Amino acid sequence: MLISFCLNGELKKLNISPDRRVTDLLREDFGLTGTKEGCGTGECGACTILADGEPRLSCLMLAAQLEGKKIVTIEGLSDGQKLHPVQQAFIDYGAVQCGFCSPGMILSAAAFLRQTPEPSRDQIRESISGNLCRCTGYQKIVDALEAAAKIMQEE
Amino acid sequence: MWGSYPNAQVYAGGTDFLVQLRNRKRDASVIICMERLEAFKGVQQQQNMIRIGACTTLSHVLKEPVIRKHIPVLATAIRRLGSPLIRNMATIGGNICTASPAGDTLPPLYILDAVLEICSEQGIRHIALKDFIHGPGQTALMKNEILSCINVKIPQEYQIHHFEKVGKRKAMTCSVASLAGLLKLDHKGVIKGVRLAWGAVGPRVLMSEKVERSLKGMQLSAESLENAVQQGTEIFSPIDDIRASADYRRKIAGNLMRRLVRHVQPDAGYQIRPDTRIRQPENI
Amino acid sequence: MKNQIPQIGSSFPRNDAAAKVIGAEKYATDYYPGNLLWAGVKRAGMPHGRIKQIDISDARKIPGVYAVLTRKDVPGTNRQGPVHKDQPVLAGKKVRHCGDPIALVLCENRDTLEKALSQIRADIDPLPGVFDMDAALQKNSPLIHEEHGNGNILSNLVIEQGKGGKGKGEKGIDECDFTAQEFFQVPMQEHAFLETENGVAWQDPGGRIVIVASTQAPHEDQDEVSYALGMKPDQIRVISPYPGGGFGGKEGATVQCLLALAALHSQGRPVKMWWSREESFAAGYKRHPARLHYWLGAMKDGTLHALHCRLYYDTGAYAHFGEEVMTAGMEHAGGPYRIPNTFVQGWCIYTNNPISGAMRGFGVTQANFAMERMMDILASKLGIDPLKFRLKNALTRGDKNPAGITLTHSTGIRDCFEQIRHHPLWINREKWKSRAGLFKQRGTGIAGMLHSAGYGKGLPDGAIAKAEITKHGCIRIYSGIPDMGQGNAATLLQIAGEELCQEASGMELIQPDTDKTLPSGSSSACRTTYTYGNALIKSCRDLKKRLIHRAALIMLADSEDGLALVPGKVRHLLTGEEVSLKVIAGMMQAAERISVCNYLMPVAKDMPDTGKDFPPGFPHILFSYAAHLVYVEIDELTGCIEIKKYLAVTDAGRILNPQIYEQQIHGAVAQGIGYALTEELLLEKGQILNPNFADYYIPCALDIPDMDSLSVETTEHSGPYGMKGIGQIGIDGPLPAMTNAVKDACGAEISQAPITGQYILNKLQQ
Repeated sequence: MLISFCLNGELKKLNISPDRRVTDLLREDFGLTGTKEGCGTGECGACTILADGEPRLSCLMLAAQLEGKKIVTIEGLSDGQKLHPVQQAFIDYGAVQCGFCSPGMILSAAAFLRQTPEPSRDQIRESISGNLCRCTGYQKIVDALEAAAKIMQEE
Repeated sequence: MWGSYPNAQVYAGGTDFLVQLRNRKRDASVIICMERLEAFKGVQQQQNMIRIGACTTLSHVLKEPVIRKHIPVLATAIRRLGSPLIRNMATIGGNICTASPAGDTLPPLYILDAVLEICSEQGIRHIALKDFIHGPGQTALMKNEILSCINVKIPQEYQIHHFEKVGKRKAMTCSVASLAGLLKLDHKGVIKGVRLAWGAVGPRVLMSEKVERSLKGMQLSAESLENAVQQGTEIFSPIDDIRASADYRRKIAGNLMRRLVRHVQPDAGYQIRPDTRIRQPENI
Repeated sequence: MKNQIPQIGSSFPRNDAAAKVIGAEKYATDYYPGNLLWAGVKRAGMPHGRIKQIDISDARKIPGVYAVLTRKDVPGTNRQGPVHKDQPVLAGKKVRHCGDPIALVLCENRDTLEKALSQIRADIDPLPGVFDMDAALQKNSPLIHEEHGNGNILSNLVIEQGKGGKGKGEKGIDECDFTAQEFFQVPMQEHAFLETENGVAWQDPGGRIVIVASTQAPHEDQDEVSYALGMKPDQIRVISPYPGGGFGGKEGATVQCLLALAALHSQGRPVKMWWSREESFAAGYKRHPARLHYWLGAMKDGTLHALHCRLYYDTGAYAHFGEEVMTAGMEHAGGPYRIPNTFVQGWCIYTNNPISGAMRGFGVTQANFAMERMMDILASKLGIDPLKFRLKNALTRGDKNPAGITLTHSTGIRDCFEQIRHHPLWINREKWKSRAGLFKQRGTGIAGMLHSAGYGKGLPDGAIAKAEITKHGCIRIYSGIPDMGQGNAATLLQIAGEELCQEASGMELIQPDTDKTLPSGSSSACRTTYTYGNALIKSCRDLKKRLIHRAALIMLADSEDGLALVPGKVRHLLTGEEVSLKVIAGMMQAAERISVCNYLMPVAKDMPDTGKDFPPGFPHILFSYAAHLVYVEIDELTGCIEIKKYLAVTDAGRILNPQIYEQQIHGAVAQGIGYALTEELLLEKGQILNPNFADYYIPCALDIPDMDSLSVETTEHSGPYGMKGIGQIGIDGPLPAMTNAVKDACGAEISQAPITGQYILNKLQQ
């Protein structure tokens, strides 16, 4: 099946089996290994991507669902010159340990902060409740997102 | 739609369906994804009716002002379902058709007397939600029918919308027991109308006229709720499973009713708390 | 302008964060070499049985199946294990747990793998299974390892001090004015790292096997694979990218032997194996479930006088680190207190349950729960405030610990308790409790703890640091120990920055590769920054000397004294003349630019009599200490517990990077909260009933509160700049602190985990 969609700002057209899992398509066919897999059943959030700006679980998406969509993976979040404020805040506030959950966490959070510019810490926690982290205990992630929210407001 | 694939299985969000495929609880050589059927998406208010397209994602339902304003009990339940990621993909129709005893949208939709619109090549038929679900994973959906729309009449007279779900963690957790409630109180705090529905404590959502009758005409208080708990003990038929024991589920199903007293000031001298109008208990 | 030199004591941002936040860092899962084959394991599916035949003929016929391997294809010993070699690479005669591997399939793609695995028919005669330790200890119990020679007991050891006594009711415990007794039970816990076990391997044209794996111990993997497959260690190369979490579960071969086996049969094609989450549950290593019987006694003035305890650890089908976990639990069984008379008996028992191995806490987490509950129980009997009781008995430097070892190194537990005592959260706790809302009951609880660092006596805890000034004048550190998230890479760079006065942009650290890095032990045991850091300091100082010397030659200085390393250069202080590191390096020979130095951690000089029977790894001389305080709120209607406040005070010696220190405390406490509240692997006849994230709940962002993490800065003179490792200790606090808090809140005595709503509601109604 021929599908066409926008991937990190570039138009892609490919002939692909319509039921190919999007996580595999991104990682294996496009070499974009920033999108991770932690469970394959939508429980952990490590496979999060943005589809038309909305965070989704790529392990529960099939290739055909990409048709006509604007897909952003972690590799496409920054503009190439400067990191996204969430990415920068993750570095500055110590929100990265093993880092395996980070891509998914960052995308979920980036989308949320765009919608909710002045979130409380509880709201931040709720926004990332579908992204499991086993290393950090979440606190520094919340610290980072609180700071990123302020920076995004100023921009 | 089925056309050349009469045996195709349909799904919308995939958060249940694709997981079941992976775990080999389903076998499907052809699957059809309904996420782009615009006709089955969206929320509209038509006078005192709210129509929710079955393929509307839970996130979308949650965002709709109409839902938040008129049926906040559903909004609260959705907010506690899964996670933002799940809600961006899962649909309200999917939650209904999966018909899990613990489906979180179900107790609110039951007390709202939701009516389902089912369409097929033969046309459209309507069925009450409470007649639609027969048991765990079993619905009245026939071959080559799809659930297209959920209709809910706005419950004008109830001021209190209540939902609580008990789970092992605060997100991404299957309900061990849940309670949805609508209450109408007069200016003295006497219960004029009450609708209650429990999830995860039986093969289907449970309602009880007996319990509702025991509360009507009573002051909303710890005592009247205690009496209601006694009336309700034998309606619950929970199971033992890896998440919880039947005994625990039965106990908390009753206890969840006691929580309703939070909608009035706990001290004597009854008065509806000022923010009780369309109010949810916090931090539940 | 922000200081670019990563210096000791500063919260310098981690070096690995930048690549990780843009998705550029390649984990083992991200390796997809060309022309690759996928490997998958057929597992026993039953807990105990004798293999009669494994029929792979149908599987072989499936198009896309490259090879199907069984026991007969395994060269060498077919035995793996980080310590005891009792675990087969592919089971030949017996299966001993449901996850035991019986065949290895190599396929062109992953879909074919599933089909092929389903076509393998194993004819296994079931044997009666042993699923609990009581049954395993019965005289006529089926034997898991017939050749073992001691029934199902892997190990049974004793620590005895003073008038410990052999049985309850003898000697020390009899002299006590007050005694308490309790029996505790804790479940199997899953590591649940986000990156499951995985790797890629191939055989290069020279015949060497190259393995890229998510591992905590690449140099050890070399040895383990070579022993298992009968190869020379130098015929195996292991490359360790940053693991996506480990927590002990990637210590000891997981995929490595299987991948090497596959690579021996793939004619040079690379083979990739990536365990699904369900497979990780079924076949990965676990935290030992345990049963702990405790008798604790004190005199009426509040001094602890005797401890008598029996610790039972279920190690599952294979030994793995079972004995070591048990001895660690025994060593820490008395907590951070002075107890003159102790009798600690440990059993490590084989069953047909999944394999328990190393998991953060390593036997101490289990024992500390019991001990800290006992402290509260006994304090209550004595009528003494629980914090005062702990302070009264807290160890100080120079004391003998309950294992009989004199504490000659930094011992900060008393200060940890004191910090709690002076903290507003402790001072104001009664006020907070009195404000519990409708249907809520509030309580507070504390716990003390200690946690050893290093491998312990009898094992060389060593590292060989390799630091280089590259041809381009950049400092490169070859770290032999993986950074699985704990931040040792960043801290080592800070050490280098401190020693060499170089900016982060002028330094880099590479993750282990056995062809390039040098054996430095595993990423475990709170040892990595300490041991490698001490070696690295030597290497850096050595490198510095060489650079200064060369600079003196270049600048014609008659003395090295007036020369200083500054970012990118060496400067002659008097004249201001400078020469760049790039120029200096350009003049150096290759061998000159590298400094290799080693370090061996000190070990205890004393050894209790009873310790003579202990395997290597006992006792320890270095410990971190901590005290935790928790505020909990119980919901009377559901039994559910919410943590309202969490305070951890830790003695980490000198803190090298406060941000990384906090990361470790937060992460460990969060895992401890999971262990306390929600995590429990449910087993039925050796089968895990909840082998997925839908039914095994690790905490999400809404489940962990904001935590206050404070520190007591002692100086650990043997450690780099006075530091000592604290990777594990945080996980030992939440369960005892929270169960103590539950008792405070509602009077319920808790002696098991997890403390689910169901369990608490039952207790409330009793």
